[in-house]
Amino acid sequence: MGIHGLSKVIGDNAKEAIKEDNIKNYFGRKIAIDAHLMGMFYRTLRMVDNGIKPVYVFDGKPPTLKSGELAKRLQRRKEATASKEEAEEVGDQEAIDRFSRRTVKITPEHNAECKKLLQLLGIPYVDAPCEAEAQCAALAKAGKVYAAGSEDMDTLTFGSPILLRHLTFSEAKNMPISEFSLKKTLDGLGFTMDEFVDLCILLGCDYCDSIRNIGPTRAVSLIREYKNIETIIKNLDTNRYPIPEHWPYKDARELFLKPVVTDPDTIEIKWESPNVEGLVDFLVREKGFSEERVRKGCERLEKNLKSATQGRLDSFFTIMPSADKKRKAEEASGSKGKKKPAPAAKGKPAAGRGRPRK
Amino acid sequence: MLEARLQTGSLPKKILEAVKELINDANFDCSDNGIALQAMDNSHVALVALLLRHEGFEPYRCDRSLALGVNLVSLSKILRCAGNDDIITIKADDNGDVLSLTFENAENDRISEYELKLMDIDSEHLGIPDTAYDAVVQMSSNEFFRICKDLGNISDSVQIDVTKEGVKFSVKGELGTGSVTLMQTANIDKEDEATLIELQQNVSLNFSLKYLTNFTKATPLSTRVSLSMSGEVPLLVEYKMEAGYIRYYLAPKIGEDN
Repeated sequence: MGIHGLSKVIGDNAKEAIKEDNIKNYFGRKIAIDAHLMGMFYRTLRMVDNGIKPVYVFDGKPPTLKSGELAKRLQRRKEATASKEEAEEVGDQEAIDRFSRRTVKITPEHNAECKKLLQLLGIPYVDAPCEAEAQCAALAKAGKVYAAGSEDMDTLTFGSPILLRHLTFSEAKNMPISEFSLKKTLDGLGFTMDEFVDLCILLGCDYCDSIRNIGPTRAVSLIREYKNIETIIKNLDTNRYPIPEHWPYKDARELFLKPVVTDPDTIEIKWESPNVEGLVDFLVREKGFSEERVRKGCERLEKNLKSATQGRLDSFFTIMPSADKKRKAEEASGSKGKKKPAPAAKGKPAAGRGRPRK
Repeated sequence: MLEARLQTGSLPKKILEAVKELINDANFDCSDNGIALQAMDNSHVALVALLLRHEGFEPYRCDRSLALGVNLVSLSKILRCAGNDDIITIKADDNGDVLSLTFENAENDRISEYELKLMDIDSEHLGIPDTAYDAVVQMSSNEFFRICKDLGNISDSVQIDVTKEGVKFSVKGELGTGSVTLMQTANIDKEDEATLIELQQNVSLNFSLKYLTNFTKATPLSTRVSLSMSGEVPLLVEYKMEAGYIRYYLAPKIGEDN
């Protein structure tokens, strides 16, 4: 799914591009969310509780290039079903849970139910003509939303300026949100967008194979040296690194750089009051949710919709590049990567890469 | 190298109290002008800008600009060890990794020395444009503290309306409503308590009381506070000190915009 190993490549080459932050600090942000998820009601509530304004984006027709990937996924699902049955026979509950999650396929009925739920909640959604990640990226690029929320790293490859991961994870997991900045990724790697897309194809994407035996480190250095896949192919020792026979990397590149999306300017995004009775009807009578929880949830939705949103300083003042590069002695050392501030300083993880205190 | 000496221990203690709730870590930017600090809170809603001009120190020496990255909780722990009348000397080497603090008590000839480990802090610096504000209210800092405290019991946000007659702080909460109005003071006999308004245009803005209450931690630094406001721009709350200032910027709450 997404781009193979991209988050690690970014972590190694452009550490500044990633920051972890608490969901609470995303209040007031509009975020386009790639809609393949479950437990939509509570997750949406959690986001709204934190002042986030979600817009869901649904997948359209998969691009033909993806058929190979989809076939693989079907295969995996079949295997998972088999393993699940096996686990059931042995009675291994953990394994049953694990495999049953893998057998899930999003059906058109499921999508229709999600949309119905969103309508009742008053949360907007967008039907992407093709890949949802691409549409999310287009919305973020056009400034319609602050960021794209997705687990798939290829959202960055599709050009989303900011990608948020772990946004829809449940509260119980207590995972901080990972924010990836495309610009800082490109700066850190020293790549143009075109070079970055070619890098992602080499790393392995959903749309075509990659070259065998080329791992992330080699992929980065190849792009750094040769700038694009065409030149790499010319210079590569094809005995050691066999180029796939039929390799539609150009089509994949085209797909990333010019994805099929609906023009964001034609999309109107509007948050409305929830339809309480409709929700009770749907969730309680049809889906067996607890009526009390649904009504409580609706109250929260309405409250958050009505109260004024806290503004942010960065929308009024401009952030200047940090001019002062101090204590550079440590700047280059390898230790900084793993150093995280002590939990006591519960704030911005960007701060506190200092030398260990006490 | 930096070397700066302060005649009273109480000043840095009060300053720390005024910033440490909002920010965890910050760089003290030292130059021959003095010591400055600018930092935003985690959620980028408020910003603190502090300036201590070199005149406030005796003596003050800073040969080369340097940024001292400090964990404010740690610094305040050390400053707690200083007496209010102690003379405080701070020192840092150009490429050093500690900030040394010396507290001298003249009365009982006591000298205490501490070293605080410095940190690398990647802070985002904000460019703050010069703004001609529509309304500037100067008032007693104690009065402002009290208003924030009182109204904070009722709601988490306050509406501030400024007209040429006066300034009104009003809240709506679940239990009911409340408001405090200060009239523009005509006679300026009691300089510290006067409410003065410079107005280009009426303003009406909403702010988080949680943050405002936080800002009033600076009350001991000055008897006066000024609130500068314009429609849809951050509020500036300024406490002036003898040789410097502490300024807080707060983004307004914005009504539905979709």
